Amino acid sequence: MSILTNPQLWASTLAMAVPLALPAIGGTFSERTGVVNIAMEGIMLMGAFFGVSFAYWTHSAWLGAIGGMLMGGLLSAVFAWAAIRLAADQVVLGMAINIFAAGLTTFLLDTVFGYGGTPPDTPQLPTWSIPGLSHIPFVGAFFTNQSVLVYIMLILVGLSHWFLFHTRLGLRMRAVGENPLAADTAGLNVWRLRYTGVIIGGLLSALGGVYLSLGILNSFDVNMTNGRGYIALAAMIFGKWTPLGSFGASLLFGFATALGIALQGNGISANLLGMLPYVLTILALAGLVGRSKPPAADGIPYTPQR
Amino acid sequence: MKKHLAATIAAAITLGTLVAGCGNTGTNSAGNTTGAASKTNFKVGLVTDTGGLNDHGFNYLADQGLVQAEKQLGVTGSVVQSQDANSYVPNLQRFASQGYNLVIAVGFLMEDAVKQVAPQYPNTKFLIIDDPITGISNVTSAMFKTEQCGYLVGAMAGLLEKQNKLPGLNSQNILGVVGGQNIPPVTSYIAGFQQGVQKTDPGAKVEVTFANSFSDQALGSQIAQQEISDGADILFQVAGGTGIGVINAAKSKHVYAIGVDADQAYLAKDTVLTSATKGVDTATFDVIQQAVNNQWKSGIQYFDLKNNGVGLGSINANVPSDVKQQVDALAQQIKDGTITVSANMQQ
Repeated sequence: MSILTNPQLWASTLAMAVPLALPAIGGTFSERTGVVNIAMEGIMLMGAFFGVSFAYWTHSAWLGAIGGMLMGGLLSAVFAWAAIRLAADQVVLGMAINIFAAGLTTFLLDTVFGYGGTPPDTPQLPTWSIPGLSHIPFVGAFFTNQSVLVYIMLILVGLSHWFLFHTRLGLRMRAVGENPLAADTAGLNVWRLRYTGVIIGGLLSALGGVYLSLGILNSFDVNMTNGRGYIALAAMIFGKWTPLGSFGASLLFGFATALGIALQGNGISANLLGMLPYVLTILALAGLVGRSKPPAADGIPYTPQR
Repeated sequence: MKKHLAATIAAAITLGTLVAGCGNTGTNSAGNTTGAASKTNFKVGLVTDTGGLNDHGFNYLADQGLVQAEKQLGVTGSVVQSQDANSYVPNLQRFASQGYNLVIAVGFLMEDAVKQVAPQYPNTKFLIIDDPITGISNVTSAMFKTEQCGYLVGAMAGLLEKQNKLPGLNSQNILGVVGGQNIPPVTSYIAGFQQGVQKTDPGAKVEVTFANSFSDQALGSQIAQQEISDGADILFQVAGGTGIGVINAAKSKHVYAIGVDADQAYLAKDTVLTSATKGVDTATFDVIQQAVNNQWKSGIQYFDLKNNGVGLGSINANVPSDVKQQVDALAQQIKDGTITVSANMQQ
């Protein structure tokens, strides 16, 4: 049981939850307005690559983070245009975005930085400890030497929940995802609201990628997201398309990864432990959360009535 | 009508990206081909495994060896990066059928592909890195005794841990290892490391963790932080891209790291003590030279400390000279056979 009282386990849990929670909340924004978004993986890669690139070019990790987010937002705008304006199949489109982003970032890494990888003197986002909180036993580990993006993520979780469920714009966005015809009849601009949802989602997903490349590290590597965009998809569904739920699910996945690392030191097979997050996913989805219901108009393109 | 159009466009976009994804291979290879003034008109093709040229490891180093051969021997080189395991055979065949004199397959993952393709093209010579193939006359295998350089970095880590003089080392006698996967090219390094530590600091505990990934830097960073919180203050990474995260974590927690495959001091010069290097570049160059000079040897060629096939990277300025001398002495004993290092890891 000494494993569970090791503060590092809890610090790792939170650190590994961030790159899942941000894209999961990003996906929530998109799907709540009625656009199925499986492109988080690709958008994260864009954020991760351009985050490092802009940080290197501008010598500022913060400008890098903003640049990475904007490039992720740009790609999601393209996705939104094809999904909303052209009414293309959103799953096919999302997959195309993922493959495109993987190819593009690899190509750019090789051509811009060469085969030696991104330069080691790229700046990194700072890590912070929250003075009062970091001394509380147990919980303190959450707030000790964490990347600044961890705290930003915590704020964004609350902010997103408030925005989606307690503001007028949030209500309108959800209305468009449930019944676009009714929303249209009531005078809402369905397309514009959907663009908003998808692009906010893209910015958040890209920030998840920025966390991987500039929050934990200061370098980009080919496919460094390692399927986290897809796990985020599971976290979003598991969290019943809400920011708080997505965050909770991400914490659970983060915990499984952290536990896997900690248990290995105690001589349990690495291969078995590698399955832990996925076993937890199946168990949780099968028994714990009950039925997860997507927004009614999720994935259905809408043509405005004239 | 509109819907139909949209579907067509979506299909076109998907197809476009797929084609672009494959085309990537071609442009990369073209970019890498430097047409050096070739007197011999000797053509060398290099096929990477799925790790690609930016793997911080053997693909990268093999390419470096080829670039060196282009400059010094005047051969014409071309590189193709394999996008997935199914493209190994066609990629090898492509070079062989175009009359390349030597085709280099990087990595043990390509064993079956080489065994299949080499007999079909008896006039083409094949080199495979990291995998022992015997009995095919046009195939040579480059094998690396990485347990030997693992032993040396282990011995150095043990000595430093015992002296406990480097700033930042704690009083606990614990060393950390992060492996990419539990497979022979990784575990041979770790086996050597364990024996080296055992030799110079028998009381030390070596904590080994596998990431099950060679490309997950974030995970590597978390594993490193776990080991550091357990008391490890020198971390040896044998994990490719994942290991970049290990070195980064060691740097931010002000402990030490040991690099692998290439000299990784450039990543963090105060953090990296040294690197256990694997001379895939020298081996690739040597075999190209053998082929050019008609000194072809089929079967397995070993690269070890004695022929500089493995070794140590640049050593951190803070490492005391008596430690360096003791490590040098051990290297000498391995070379003359007084010490033999096993490649089998203690689980």
